Amino acid sequence: MESLSPWVIFFASIFTGNILLVYFLGMCSFLSVSAQVKTSLGLGLAVVFVLTVTSALNYLIYYYVLVPLGIEYLRFIAFIIVIASAVQLIEMIIERFSEVLYINLGIFLPLITVNCAILGVSLFMVIRKYTFIQSVMFGAGSGLGWLLAILAMAGIRQRINEKRIPPALRGPGIVLIITGLMAMAFIGFSGIVQIQ
Amino acid sequence: MIFKILITTAAMAGISGVLALLLVLAERFFANYGECKITINDEEEFTIEGGSSLLSSLNSQKIFLPSACGGRGTCAYCKCKVHEGVGPILPTEEPLLTEEEMAENVRLSCQVKVKQDMRIEIPEELFNIKEFESEVDKITDLTYDIKLVRLKLTEPKEISFKPGQYAQLNSKPYNGVKESVSRAYSIASPHFEKDHIDLMVRLVPEGICTTWVHDYLQEGEKVKFVAPMGDFYIREDEGEMIMVAGGSGMAPFVSILEDMARKKSKRKMTYFFGAVTKKDLFYVEEMRSLEERIENFTFVPALSGPEPDDDWDGETGLITVPLEKYLKSHDDLEKSQGYLCGSPGMIDACIKIMKNYGMKSDRIFYDPFG
Amino acid sequence: MKKTPQENIIHKNFLPGVITKEGFLGDDPRHVHEIVNEDTRILARLNRTPEQVADRLQFFIEQGKKGLETKVDLGDYTVQIIWSRGLLPCPFEEPRLHHKITCTVEVKDLNRTFKYSQLSVHMIREHGFFGGRGSPFRLNPTEMVELLGA
Repeated sequence: MESLSPWVIFFASIFTGNILLVYFLGMCSFLSVSAQVKTSLGLGLAVVFVLTVTSALNYLIYYYVLVPLGIEYLRFIAFIIVIASAVQLIEMIIERFSEVLYINLGIFLPLITVNCAILGVSLFMVIRKYTFIQSVMFGAGSGLGWLLAILAMAGIRQRINEKRIPPALRGPGIVLIITGLMAMAFIGFSGIVQIQ
Repeated sequence: MIFKILITTAAMAGISGVLALLLVLAERFFANYGECKITINDEEEFTIEGGSSLLSSLNSQKIFLPSACGGRGTCAYCKCKVHEGVGPILPTEEPLLTEEEMAENVRLSCQVKVKQDMRIEIPEELFNIKEFESEVDKITDLTYDIKLVRLKLTEPKEISFKPGQYAQLNSKPYNGVKESVSRAYSIASPHFEKDHIDLMVRLVPEGICTTWVHDYLQEGEKVKFVAPMGDFYIREDEGEMIMVAGGSGMAPFVSILEDMARKKSKRKMTYFFGAVTKKDLFYVEEMRSLEERIENFTFVPALSGPEPDDDWDGETGLITVPLEKYLKSHDDLEKSQGYLCGSPGMIDACIKIMKNYGMKSDRIFYDPFG
Repeated sequence: MKKTPQENIIHKNFLPGVITKEGFLGDDPRHVHEIVNEDTRILARLNRTPEQVADRLQFFIEQGKKGLETKVDLGDYTVQIIWSRGLLPCPFEEPRLHHKITCTVEVKDLNRTFKYSQLSVHMIREHGFFGGRGSPFRLNPTEMVELLGA
């Protein structure tokens, strides 16, 4: 994997290997927060931040603490602790600097902790044997990919409000269908570059 | 083996420890707002620890803004002007503020957090509002659904208020109701009797606080209330006072009229009181005695649906009927003042008639909690 | 259905003593969502929308207001409202308050009465919520359609 340029990994994780639309990770907050573009942008940026920070930290912890000590099997606990702390940190920052965003994100801000996209990225990074630079680029790229997906969904949902949807499909139903269609569209990218 | 366990534990503990340390430092840096200075009306100043809502910060300084929802951001009573030291309007405030209010920096104090020095403006009379501890002295039935509750003050021992203002009574948890709520009731006792207040409480269908007062409150029980509030009081003037009330809307007028009697006022006053049947009518004797004590005061009770055996020979019809009849036979209504207290429906109907007959809307007063 | 903390707060609002004395669920063990879903289905089968029912109920309140607590005769119906002072929040956690109006409508030829509040009209209109079984202001959607001719 070392041969891959970090930039390739960066763009690949946004488009061909979009963490949400291709791997279907991080669906929970994606479904619930994507009602408005403004809040989606806020949550998306928070996810980008958390992903970048945690992929870097987790890389360092994995290769410089866990591997030398031979306790790689504890990586889940270690990763989760790092993720939880990063989320806590960003919660403090958002509360201090944008209360509007803080209220809009509500419970979904702390819930980033259990956003599986974030643990997923850290685990992929280990499985795919990325270098440090590659890992950080992978984290940032995946974050941006998630942001892109949730922004697109929010845009679509705002338009959908003006349309007549069959009552049975209103809410999560139609959102899941749209997600499926978006995912199919993203499969179109998959021939360009392979990163697995 | 032991060594391995120790290493593993130490490694995990180390990681958590470093992260925890990092968070503690961050908390110091981000979540610590330090001491904030709040300046009220450019006169009073106090310093508090930042981080909590403006409403509770003010409460901690014994300044009580009215609040009926307990800081949930639904009642919009706790509005105040914040001139400096606050961020943009929050999504939780937006639906409750009008555009003019937003332009005047009006905010909901229960939603705004104190994060830096603030400069705020609140109405002068709110400085007077205090929390009182009291004991239930007596509970009397006025009608089948209205009770008169006398609260004897224990701490502080005296209250000063303007006749017509109201108190916010805090209920206690009872049978199935786990939380305490606070509700507003007009003070019916005269302001010169400073050691107690009287409240008239009408049973509201499904009401939490009124059911508590009617079914659970005992004489001798200790209760708390916050008072005085409201800007429903008499504006000194020459013109005639035309008062209209229904149900527990009687309360503020008892206080107002006792004050008038004591002052030996010579103002012309007419008081219309509406009830459905005779069993909804109360305080008639008290009113007749006030008629004797006040030179120019007339009490006009009206029943809208008297029962055959009520034996009623007074005014009949909705309260708007005698009111309209009265206004029709008078001119020069521009100088008179209107005072209304009762259900919002009654108030709306009366305002409409008063305006039709040429009374000015800025001379019609009614209490705000509708 | 997965419940977020927000939903748990909302659920709490329906219990006795939070907004009204008896609460909005009565002895109905179902979750608010289930109650809403079932009533919406029943209404849809009768080809009616919650808005239509709410409009009709609001009409009675508006007529009743004219009576100032006395009975208003509307031919086939009589309406009486009690308008207490003060305002109530909606249990669905919206920043809007509702007047404390309770309305009693009597359908003369059927000799039946039913009772509801301004808040019930709002909850039917905006949230499709008719109240839990056994709660004081529960309105049965099937009966509503029959009684109101909405």
